[in-house]
Amino acid sequence: MAGAVLRAGAWLEVAGISGVAVVVGGCGAAFPAAATALLPICFALLAAAAAFTLDEPASLVVDVTPTGPARRTAIRAVALLAPLAVGALVLLAAALRGLALPWAAAGLALAGNVLLGFAAACVARTRTGEPGAAAGAAVVLVLMVPGLVPQVARWVRTFPAPGAGGPSPDHVWWTVLAVCAVAIAISAGGRRLPRWRARGAIPRLPGAVRP
Amino acid sequence: MTATLAFGRPVLVPLAAREARRLVLNPVFLFAVVTAWTTWTGGGSATPEIDNVNGYPAVFLGGFGMMATYWLTRSMRASEPVAGVTPTTRPTRTAALCWVAIVPFFCGVLTLFGFLHPYPVGDAVYGPFSPSARLAVLVGQIVIPSLGGPLLGVALGRWVRFPGAAFVLFLVIFGWVELVTILTLSHQDSAPVAVLRLFSPFAFFTVQADSGAVTAWRGSPWFFIGWQLALCTIAVLVALLRGAEGRVRSRIIRALAIAGVGAVILLVLAGTGGFTYAVTA
Repeated sequence: MAGAVLRAGAWLEVAGISGVAVVVGGCGAAFPAAATALLPICFALLAAAAAFTLDEPASLVVDVTPTGPARRTAIRAVALLAPLAVGALVLLAAALRGLALPWAAAGLALAGNVLLGFAAACVARTRTGEPGAAAGAAVVLVLMVPGLVPQVARWVRTFPAPGAGGPSPDHVWWTVLAVCAVAIAISAGGRRLPRWRARGAIPRLPGAVRP
Repeated sequence: MTATLAFGRPVLVPLAAREARRLVLNPVFLFAVVTAWTTWTGGGSATPEIDNVNGYPAVFLGGFGMMATYWLTRSMRASEPVAGVTPTTRPTRTAALCWVAIVPFFCGVLTLFGFLHPYPVGDAVYGPFSPSARLAVLVGQIVIPSLGGPLLGVALGRWVRFPGAAFVLFLVIFGWVELVTILTLSHQDSAPVAVLRLFSPFAFFTVQADSGAVTAWRGSPWFFIGWQLALCTIAVLVALLRGAEGRVRSRIIRALAIAGVGAVILLVLAGTGGFTYAVTA
């Protein structure tokens, strides 16, 4: 059963975005001067890839099968190994090129990015069968804002660039990890059928008064 | 008949107005406009060189505008079976979507005027560029990306089925601009690196030197605007090509070839024109 659930995953999207992330991260490793600019972009792409792991085109059928959402989510979580492996590969390449990064903090940022994408997908999956595009876009926007908006960058840093001032990103990522764990647990454990479906099941006549 | 329906004003104007209303109400676009206006204000005399601030309108109005128009275009896919049988052809609907780019373009123009207040053309933050070149730098970095980004979003929405294409492309372009800018820092006088830097919908032209003065990189801001406009033309033509048939299709393909050749020429001129080496002033 696990194999069937995994086979139905949006592997093309996950692999495609992870592939783009490899190229961007590879450029960051190849040009060390650009690493602190390109690695956060690579991680944001990996977060977007993680957001596609829960896409289920046949959700109308799958959601009413006896396999619960917690089990389906757990099986699909295996797909997170792809973006995590890609991120680890990029960090390894950067280390081999002699980049001086705080590796533990970079690893934490990678895990936080991927888990944030997955958590967003989990939350959105309770409303739609294919949350990848919306969750991925939202996660990318959220992750890019600290790098784009100086007013936010003063308070939040998402990548442990050496020599950069401001608050440590570790606090941000530990908090994100905790919030994501709670969000995933709630979404996967207690999800209900999407509200729009429950409303749509009983068509109302024009002019009818809602009870 | 087809041509009249395809680009006829009576059909196009109401469609464009409707799409423009949808864009203006799009939360991503609203966020982009607000953020574009709030990020660069307040720098004033604290800004050492203009490229520290003028990338923001391009990122938000152009980049986020691209995502907004991409979703605007894609949102019509669900109604395609119904809309596809109406007398209004797909190129007409695409043209209406392309006209929507007027809205972010107008926002870009307003941003430019807003920019000129704290950073007048005579200011030292522009470095050694002439007054006309300074204006060209601003137009190329603020106004044209605000037009081109949304047009690229429409073309992408018409051709690419992958729902996350817009944000992936945004990140790729963002990363490319970062990479070639950092490459330029170490190869300031190199012509190939200058062409690489300008081979992008957005490019930086200045950097703060170690002495505190502003260094202008090689390249012509005016020809860069030409290259950007050629990219805009290509985006419109590529978007219109989807669903075009018969003579309209062959005309679009011919125009696409001409625009492509023009773009290459303008890119070479942008890379080899202007300053032929980095100048600090």
